[in-house]
Amino acid sequence: MKTLIIGYGSPIRGDDALGPLAADRLENAELPDHVAVISRHILTAELVADLMEADRVIFLDAAVDVKPGVVSCRRLEPDATAVSTMAHFLDPRELLAWCQSLYDHTPESYLISAGVASLDYASYQLTPIAESALEQMLAAVGRLINEPTDALPG
Amino acid sequence: MSRTLTIEPVTRIEGHARITLQLGDGGEVEDAKFHLTQFRGFEKFCEGRPYREMPALTARTCGICPVSHLLASNKACDHLLSVSIPPTGEKLRRIMNLAQLVQSHALSFFHLSSPDLLLGWDADPASRNIFGVMRQEPALAKDGIRLRQIGQTIIEMLGGKKIHPTWVVPGGVNEPLSQEKRDAMLKLLPEGLEIAKRTYAFFKTLVPKFLDEANHFGNQPTMFLSLVTPKGDLEHYDGLFRLKDAQGRILEDMVPPEDYERLIGEAVEDFSYMKFPYYKPHGYPQGIYRVGPLARLNNANTCGTPYADVALAEFHMLQESGPIASSFHYHYARLVEIIFGLEMMERLLKDPAILDSRVRARARSNRSEGIGVSEAPRGTLLHHYRIDDDGLITWVNLVIATGHNNLAMNQAIRQVADAYVDGNDLREGMLNRVEAVIRCFDPCLSCASHAVGQMPLRIELLDPAGRLIDTLNRD
Repeated sequence: MKTLIIGYGSPIRGDDALGPLAADRLENAELPDHVAVISRHILTAELVADLMEADRVIFLDAAVDVKPGVVSCRRLEPDATAVSTMAHFLDPRELLAWCQSLYDHTPESYLISAGVASLDYASYQLTPIAESALEQMLAAVGRLINEPTDALPG
Repeated sequence: MSRTLTIEPVTRIEGHARITLQLGDGGEVEDAKFHLTQFRGFEKFCEGRPYREMPALTARTCGICPVSHLLASNKACDHLLSVSIPPTGEKLRRIMNLAQLVQSHALSFFHLSSPDLLLGWDADPASRNIFGVMRQEPALAKDGIRLRQIGQTIIEMLGGKKIHPTWVVPGGVNEPLSQEKRDAMLKLLPEGLEIAKRTYAFFKTLVPKFLDEANHFGNQPTMFLSLVTPKGDLEHYDGLFRLKDAQGRILEDMVPPEDYERLIGEAVEDFSYMKFPYYKPHGYPQGIYRVGPLARLNNANTCGTPYADVALAEFHMLQESGPIASSFHYHYARLVEIIFGLEMMERLLKDPAILDSRVRARARSNRSEGIGVSEAPRGTLLHHYRIDDDGLITWVNLVIATGHNNLAMNQAIRQVADAYVDGNDLREGMLNRVEAVIRCFDPCLSCASHAVGQMPLRIELLDPAGRLIDTLNRD
């Protein structure tokens, strides 16, 4: 199963860097050949072309709607209404909707996210609680990559 | 009774803004304002940081045009070092800049503006979006994604996989180009150029359908500012300032970027977080000018590449004489520049010197003040830093492309509102045109704000006393 991991977030806003930092860690790890990793500041339109070629996509992001350090993994479905008000970046569900609409293909998709404690500007450090969450995010990715899909969260 | 109409957030642009229209007793537009409602403050929080951090810090100003900030910031740092970067380092920077130009313009045209152009200004807003374009013109939507992918791939080949590359450094770039990467980039360009040519040909067939919009979308007289080469040709990375007036007379020419403070003043207004740059000799607000693709093509003698020069000649035929005035034609100018970007990247990559290993000059800071200017997709971008003896930033001024256009955008929404908005019979298509003229400029408000934000559209109706009577919101 061709798997694409996309970590996204701002590297200069403290815990918002959880996604790209997790992606960087994965890129430096020994991953199976069928797994590719992308690290981005934001999700942009051309990523649809990468989604089109993937069987499974795992998005890694920071979250502000859960308690700091809480890691969750959930399935994502295409949603054309999940439109970001910032036109130049996209919600992962909107990206999936683009992919479905243009290429009639929706990869099996997951969002692994972790609650943030600080989003300060010009901060290059994760808070200790986010550091801990990062490890959990990586473990969650490992489970997704290695487990049969019927055992994954629905 | 006079009313104020508010459009908030303005959609399909980068950042958060609001438009207010003040209506008179008869429903006519009395005033129009474009408000940048997000605040960020990069100029302040960069103070105290080492100057070598500035490229990485300021590149985070924007997720969509980080390369522009990276280049302007590094050019300001080059100035602080007092070095002349190796020619191959400069060429490699140029390629990265052009790759970003291509992908940024592609986003503006294919994904942000095409719903209006293809589906119509008055189409149901529920379907007047990228999904509507995908249903009606799937090949065009795929072309847009592919063009962005080509631009992004070239940026990643040069700068690494992150969208904020650190490959560009003060003094040049930190790694020469390998033959393998050069060949891989060259392979991508013919496909990109084919996409650009067919999109340009397609758009030419649409232009006659939008004569009314072209006549009302910000075609009031302004000056045009851009960099040009020493020969007066199209330039995006380096060069000298040229300023033309609305009749095409050159008011300023071959002005070194370091002299920008003689040309550009910056005013502030209490209704927006965006500054209002103006041409100093004409004063504020008379010193209104535009930057970006329209200004660059109006100012350039030639593009300097074969197909783009043909397109430039056709661009000048949009009007009988003089600089092309209508801001609607920013769309046309973007397509010409996409063609130019792809042709020029091919030329630069085919230069055998592009593989030279000497790509970086090394030095410590040798002056206390540095100025870097380049042409971002949206227009002239200027970074100006002062540092102390320890190399720490003491003062920053960023003059952002979108900011240069602030006066012109305000003028343009007034013109569109005058032409299309009837306060007694308010319809969505009217408001969409007001938004659409802003999209012609493809503003990047995340960059232009002096501060953090979000961009939906609201139109507010105010009474003569300025009290809010009615609001139309679009999320």
